[in-house]
Amino acid sequence: MSSASGAKMALDKELALFSRIKSELLKNHEGKFVLIRGEELIGTYDSVENAYTEGVKRFGCEPFLIKKISEQEEVYRNQALALGLMHARF
Amino acid sequence: MPVFNFFHWSEKHGRTLNETGALVSVEIGVPAPLKQYLSEKGLSIPAPVSGFALVDTGAFATAVDESVFTSLGVSHIDEVPTDTPHGSGTSKVYPANINFPGMNVTDMAMERVIGCKLKWKTRDDKEILMLLGRDLLQYFLFVYNGPSSDVTLCY
Repeated sequence: MSSASGAKMALDKELALFSRIKSELLKNHEGKFVLIRGEELIGTYDSVENAYTEGVKRFGCEPFLIKKISEQEEVYRNQALALGLMHARF
Repeated sequence: MPVFNFFHWSEKHGRTLNETGALVSVEIGVPAPLKQYLSEKGLSIPAPVSGFALVDTGAFATAVDESVFTSLGVSHIDEVPTDTPHGSGTSKVYPANINFPGMNVTDMAMERVIGCKLKWKTRDDKEILMLLGRDLLQYFLFVYNGPSSDVTLCY
């Protein structure tokens, strides 16, 4: 697989699996990071760094999901982007 | 703590800080674990992509133009909800290795950078690739000096 196409691949399967097992993961792994590839849960890790290192070791450039196990997912707010200020001209 | 001053001035346009915002040179490269993997497999490691980062105190998370990750061959590792005045959406999350050559800051590992479309050029031809958000700014002292058109960053 070319790495360029890898960047475009969706993580639909992985996100669907996470959604299905989230409540189970929350019982014992809240605050940790889960590594999922396809429909397989690879493991949970204390840090995103450790999860990423393990993911690359196993799957190289192939896509995989690393998701923080938390009740409420953090919502990202970037106001300059949101408001289009990057392209504002005065 | 080393102190770095960035004077925003060009011969053609004069003082540019007000127009461009606070810019610092940046290099975005392949994350260290992927670099090691490619090296072990005897595969070529893409060169870092160079450009400018716009200091954005309004941004919660650092964001990078998605084309950078495409050229580096880095896949996204998560998709997260984004909330804007225009509605809700989803953004991809990428890992990256960040260098700030102007400040001798190298190999800063960032596992959660937001990918988006933000690449553009200033009037004095500086290509902006990144919004430097508060997740990185928390490690810096930042001074914006409007009258003298310069910014100071200490790391």
